Amino acid sequence: MLNYQSSIKEEKTYSGLIVKEVVPVMKLNLRGKNREFLSTIGKNINMTLPLEANTSSSSDNYTSMWLSPDEWMIISNYTADKENNNYQIEKLLFSKISKTNLGAVTDVSDQFVMINLKGEKIFDLLSTGCPFNFNEFKKKNGAVTQTLLLQIDVIIHLKEINTVNLFVRRSFSEHLMSWIDDAASRL
Amino acid sequence: MFIINCPFCGERDQSEFKAGGEAHIERPKQPTELNDEEWAEYLFMRKNIKGIQFERWNHAHGCRKWFNMLRDTSNDEIKLIYKMGEKSPIE
Repeated sequence: MLNYQSSIKEEKTYSGLIVKEVVPVMKLNLRGKNREFLSTIGKNINMTLPLEANTSSSSDNYTSMWLSPDEWMIISNYTADKENNNYQIEKLLFSKISKTNLGAVTDVSDQFVMINLKGEKIFDLLSTGCPFNFNEFKKKNGAVTQTLLLQIDVIIHLKEINTVNLFVRRSFSEHLMSWIDDAASRL
Repeated sequence: MFIINCPFCGERDQSEFKAGGEAHIERPKQPTELNDEEWAEYLFMRKNIKGIQFERWNHAHGCRKWFNMLRDTSNDEIKLIYKMGEKSPIE
């Protein structure tokens, strides 16, 4: 988190919706297929990666999200130190996974911006710019989906009912945020 | 607009996918033995029929996985979806 520039300057409140950026949060992208990869990850972070599509699993410190049959994203449940750019868990996994050619571990902390949305009108907002059907999604705690919001690739994670974490690539975040600001004002 | 049932993620809107052209085109085993015409046939020529066609699709804005689809190009009706690497179930 050294070259950090926030796209969302402050917490914003709309009718039935609160939007803020959660920062800084460690995010790791994991890629791998075989059983050894899964067991090594499981041992080192003390949780199993979700194997069912569009789901996530959580432990005290980390949440891991299913992205594809051989791809996951792990995020820390707590914010990190702003001056720090090293994460112990990344170093550990990198030496156990990447260096042994079991899979790939990539630090995507600065690549993705994590936007937290809270309130009963989240899905009214998301539905206005998204082709995804949220009817089942919004009832399922821990559900994850990758889809398009306003033609932008996003990862949507339902942390709990009426609380959503939205991950978007940093370069798109300002544009997406200005759309959220506009769309949410008319909810 | 139509709905595609991704074999990994489930039902999603077509706008999340990219079409990847005709499926089950095999690369010639010995390209050096082909003449220009045969090589061009492999490289460029596609059936592009009106009717039922084997296609490759990619869930580009979702799980980023490729899969095969049997689609009627005249009315976008999807007859069958199966994973990459599997043989075409209908010859």
